[in-house]
Amino acid sequence: MADNNEARLALIPALAGQSSSGYIGRTALMKYMYFLQVLRKVPLDYRFTLYSYGPFDSNVLADLASAESLNVVKSDLATYLGGYGYKISPAERAEWLRKRSSAFLSHHKEDVKWVLRTFGSYTSVELELLATIVFVDREAQQKKEKIRLNDVVKRVHEVKPHFKEDKIQTYANHLIKEKLLAHA
Amino acid sequence: MDTHRIYEIRCPVHGFIRLNDWEWTVISQPAFQRLRRIRQLAWTDYVYPGAMHTRFEHSLGVMHTATELYDAIKRNSQDVLKADLAYNDAGLNRDSQLVRFAALLHDVGHSPFSHGSEDLFPRHDNGGKFRHEEYSAAVIRSELRDAIEKHPLNANYGFKADDVASLIEGSADAKQAVFWRDLIDGQMDADRMDYLLRDSVHIGVQYGKFDLNRLVTTIRAIPSPGGHPPQIGISKGGVHAAEALVLARYFMFTQVYFHKTRVAYDVHLRGAMKELLPGGHFPRPIAGELKEFLGWDDWRVLGLLAAGKGGEHGHRLSSRHHYRRVFDTPEISTEVDLELAEAIKKKLGTLLATEEFASKSWYKTGRPDIPVVDDDNPKAVLPLSKYSNVVANLKANNKVFLYVKPEDVVRSRELIREVLEHGR
Repeated sequence: MADNNEARLALIPALAGQSSSGYIGRTALMKYMYFLQVLRKVPLDYRFTLYSYGPFDSNVLADLASAESLNVVKSDLATYLGGYGYKISPAERAEWLRKRSSAFLSHHKEDVKWVLRTFGSYTSVELELLATIVFVDREAQQKKEKIRLNDVVKRVHEVKPHFKEDKIQTYANHLIKEKLLAHA
Repeated sequence: MDTHRIYEIRCPVHGFIRLNDWEWTVISQPAFQRLRRIRQLAWTDYVYPGAMHTRFEHSLGVMHTATELYDAIKRNSQDVLKADLAYNDAGLNRDSQLVRFAALLHDVGHSPFSHGSEDLFPRHDNGGKFRHEEYSAAVIRSELRDAIEKHPLNANYGFKADDVASLIEGSADAKQAVFWRDLIDGQMDADRMDYLLRDSVHIGVQYGKFDLNRLVTTIRAIPSPGGHPPQIGISKGGVHAAEALVLARYFMFTQVYFHKTRVAYDVHLRGAMKELLPGGHFPRPIAGELKEFLGWDDWRVLGLLAAGKGGEHGHRLSSRHHYRRVFDTPEISTEVDLELAEAIKKKLGTLLATEEFASKSWYKTGRPDIPVVDDDNPKAVLPLSKYSNVVANLKANNKVFLYVKPEDVVRSRELIREVLEHGR
């Protein structure tokens, strides 16, 4: 497979396999990819834009589908009251792809560890909120807007009105503690 | 000027499409009229002669479809919109018009021959390539600003051009309206629904047909538990209509969008455009360069090709003398298939003209994740794949095509036979 998306695909079983539970959900996959690209500058070439569920790029799910087709990962459905989710875990051919992308994975080994260490304990709802805070913060930075943290919190509340501002502030504080916000 | 006049435009897919005077003013602007000169499916007419339709009629169709979906969600899920997204009646009325504009204008920044030439968009300072949505947003903020902001009907809304642009580009400035982005660019978006039906009509195939009316009656905003925002999905009654939408996408991908000859012409278009564009790429979507970008449309490219420009690829476009596919892998390729493709590629050496990947196509395949709610038991939400075996078993197409020049076909096939028979 000479496709240069290969490295992106190889990252999926790496993230799932190294997570504490041995699997990750779709939201976690999407937001980990976002954090890796935006906060760690891993060259993934995704184009994240904002949806009500946070930064999203359909190419992440397209890569997941490709990884499933190649039997590199598998997705098991998990249902619960009022909803459902997926458990993505390494599959039979994960090692084959790991070997083919070993240079990339080795170069970004610490980034994978970092994203799992920093965000691995959050729920999918929390990850959506954290990623949205980072998105709003970085978008303002990109537009060279002079705003303060309070403005970031307000903007996130406008996008996600079901979160109260004090809750958004609490999660923004988590990011500040990790020195991950530009407008701290 | 009668600002309350309603205009009707005939559409081969939807019958009549109705526009208010505000929308009529917007589509009358040169930047929108340019879409009459951007073909929807690039050089697909070299395979399917009917594929001569443009982004102009598609954009009107997306606005129409998005409105149908928006109104249905508003009708079916008003309580969810009000409770979870803090909407009131005025907000819903306002965002109805906002969604119409976003749907109408989402493609206004397309380059000539649509997706076929997007590889030649320039790069941001941070390295990522510009996307056509960024061009659309820039066109809205400059060329269409006055038509949006200064129309008398805007007195009721107070829209800024930035409101429309922000929704299209996925900015936090779109505020709570980002919820509706799924209708513009999502799994069940109006864009996809319209192009599948429209492309089928013009091409003369049945592959892209599905029951749009049934989807409209069953679409919902489904509340999610535990702090997630609501999702756009369907009620159980729409399962087979959604299944048909997914299959329509699959069939259209395999039969049309990733057709071997059609893909070859995308390669030639990219090659020719690289020759035609100063510096080998489009101008950026920024002040001082956007007008030059808008000067590029199909007519200009065709004129240059008719004048003999565009190099070897331009000549291949003009003479319909395309690269030939000499090898392809299965739709669902295994590691063995992909490694065979690599061995053949190596054997072909300099004879290989290009390799093309289904996984890198603008059109995506694979299993979508459309939530389905049981109206009798609203707590029961499951993905479409749980209701449909067909959808559950759909996999992403990772086919690979290898192409050579027509004059190299015979020699290439000999080399490929050697690999297939002797493994080298």
